[in-house]
Amino acid sequence: MHRLIRTLAHLTALAGGVVLLALIVLTTLSIVGRSINKLLHHDFFDTTLTGFSQWVLDLGVGEINGSYELLEAGVAFAIFSFLPICQFYGSHATVDIFTSFLSNRTNRWIAAFWEIVLAAVLILIVLQLYGGMERYIRNGQTTLFLQFPIWWSYAASFAAGVVACITAVYCAGARLVEAARSRRVLPSEHGEH
Amino acid sequence: MSSLELGFWSFPILLLMVFLRAPIGLAMLLCGFGGWYMAMGGNPVPLLAKLKSETYTTFSSYSLTIIPLFLLMGQFATLSGMSQALFRAAESFLGHRRGGVAMSAVGACAGFGAICGSSLATAATMSKVALPELKRYGYSGGFSTATLAAGGTLGILIPPSVILVIYAILTEQNIAKLFLAAFIPGILAALGYILTISLYVRLNPDTAGTRPRVPMGERFRALAECWPVLTIFLIVVGGIYAGWFTPTEGAAIGAAGTGLAALLSGSLNWSVVAESLLGTARTTAMIFFIVLGAGFYNGFLALSGVPQFMAEWVVAQGFSPIFVLCVILGFYLIFGCLMDSLSMILLTVPIFFPVITAMDFGMSTEHLAIWFGILVLIVVEVGLITPPVGMNLFIINSMDPETPITQTYRAVMYFVGSDIVRVILLVAFPAITLFLLPD
Repeated sequence: MHRLIRTLAHLTALAGGVVLLALIVLTTLSIVGRSINKLLHHDFFDTTLTGFSQWVLDLGVGEINGSYELLEAGVAFAIFSFLPICQFYGSHATVDIFTSFLSNRTNRWIAAFWEIVLAAVLILIVLQLYGGMERYIRNGQTTLFLQFPIWWSYAASFAAGVVACITAVYCAGARLVEAARSRRVLPSEHGEH
Repeated sequence: MSSLELGFWSFPILLLMVFLRAPIGLAMLLCGFGGWYMAMGGNPVPLLAKLKSETYTTFSSYSLTIIPLFLLMGQFATLSGMSQALFRAAESFLGHRRGGVAMSAVGACAGFGAICGSSLATAATMSKVALPELKRYGYSGGFSTATLAAGGTLGILIPPSVILVIYAILTEQNIAKLFLAAFIPGILAALGYILTISLYVRLNPDTAGTRPRVPMGERFRALAECWPVLTIFLIVVGGIYAGWFTPTEGAAIGAAGTGLAALLSGSLNWSVVAESLLGTARTTAMIFFIVLGAGFYNGFLALSGVPQFMAEWVVAQGFSPIFVLCVILGFYLIFGCLMDSLSMILLTVPIFFPVITAMDFGMSTEHLAIWFGILVLIVVEVGLITPPVGMNLFIINSMDPETPITQTYRAVMYFVGSDIVRVILLVAFPAITLFLLPD
């Protein structure tokens, strides 16, 4: 179970990461295209190298259509898919100084309590995200440039959100076991920023 | 209970949850949810409707996409070997001076800060390179770790900077101008740390050894090795400033550039890439969860009218603007020792910013917003190196197991002192921050 969840969280985060990398390449190409396009519309190319610049422009060198939209939809998916691993490693930012005086046992119960609340809140968030998706399915709204249905991006985010909920529920259970049996189950590291 | 009262009650409840070690984002979400629910007279429908789109909208916000991009850029920069190149170059110029290897570490941190928007990443990366060298030339443990912890804060002071992005979004300021304004204070910080080091080694002569001088030709060869850093910095920050592309696009180009540099340095393979993606994933999720919570909480606060009430109240008291500014900065210095900088900014700027802009500092609102932003950025960063809970101190200290943390604490106080002197200078002379800005 532990390994299954760990693998699931890792794979989901990697999927989000690969999307992020793809968006970086897409955005960079789009900017390079836009810059070349601008350059070719410059006087020099327009007048002296008309044929050449027209040929390049006809190839479609320019800003990639809808790259903003893809970036937004992709990053939303990426962030939802980053949640499980953050959950699994307990990377959420906390203030530890006041609880550091309490016993290990008390601290484990505190951790379990917040983990359960966190799981409940995540489930609420993802459920409502589903509600948002339904709304966009019903009204059939599409994006401005690429004209793809908005609910697609919601669906991708929702899928990652479901993994986040599964991980959160597992972590809540694991923290309870940690508290009840006083032993470590989950890895714990703090994220950086 | 009126909304305003609800708003005021939410502070102690939020703090209580945070001090009981609730994840900060979760505590803000809960207070935000509770506040919305009660302000709507116990009707959950508006809150649930808001939740349908708010999470997706926050996570897909175009200006916030800059955060994962800058984080990945920092991860790639760590792999690209640029930290080594920077340190070698700085060491060849400064290494032979008294305390020179420590000064080089600070210089290299400043250089690395120009391509990395995160403090802890800068501190951790430079420590890997610089700690062994500091040891080799007889620098004491506490002095070395303190230097690197302080040097790490340059990662966030020198643009690009994740925290400044968040501040810009919260206060609706221009990111490019904030980056530009942060530049001189960032350089001042590096110079201040170098001066601090030279003072420290004079007061504690046995804490630093000496290193032979490097011939001029070799120095410039080492400097030339740093060209990728300079190129990427100029393209990203220059391009954003010149308006060639949006800050988000600039961050994408920066990530692509550092990724390319890492690829060319031959240190990239699948497992390393996966490692950087997972690192980026954890930090990104942590940040966005706080941003989401802050969105709900601040939305509720705005609804309750607390920020406006506070601003009017402070103005009505007739305090002098500088006094109010100093109280706020003092508050950040103290709270910065307890809470991470990002949560601090998200939690407090929506309340303090209206207060500051309601006062007359004799400058335009935009300049005031930028000046205040840079000051806040610096004071919350001081929290990263203030004992007993400064995050940078722990990160670096864990990389050097032989040095007890108390030694780091003692040495780092010199750097905290240098930070405070710099804050006083920047408060007294706003022009230091603002003179690079166009009118």
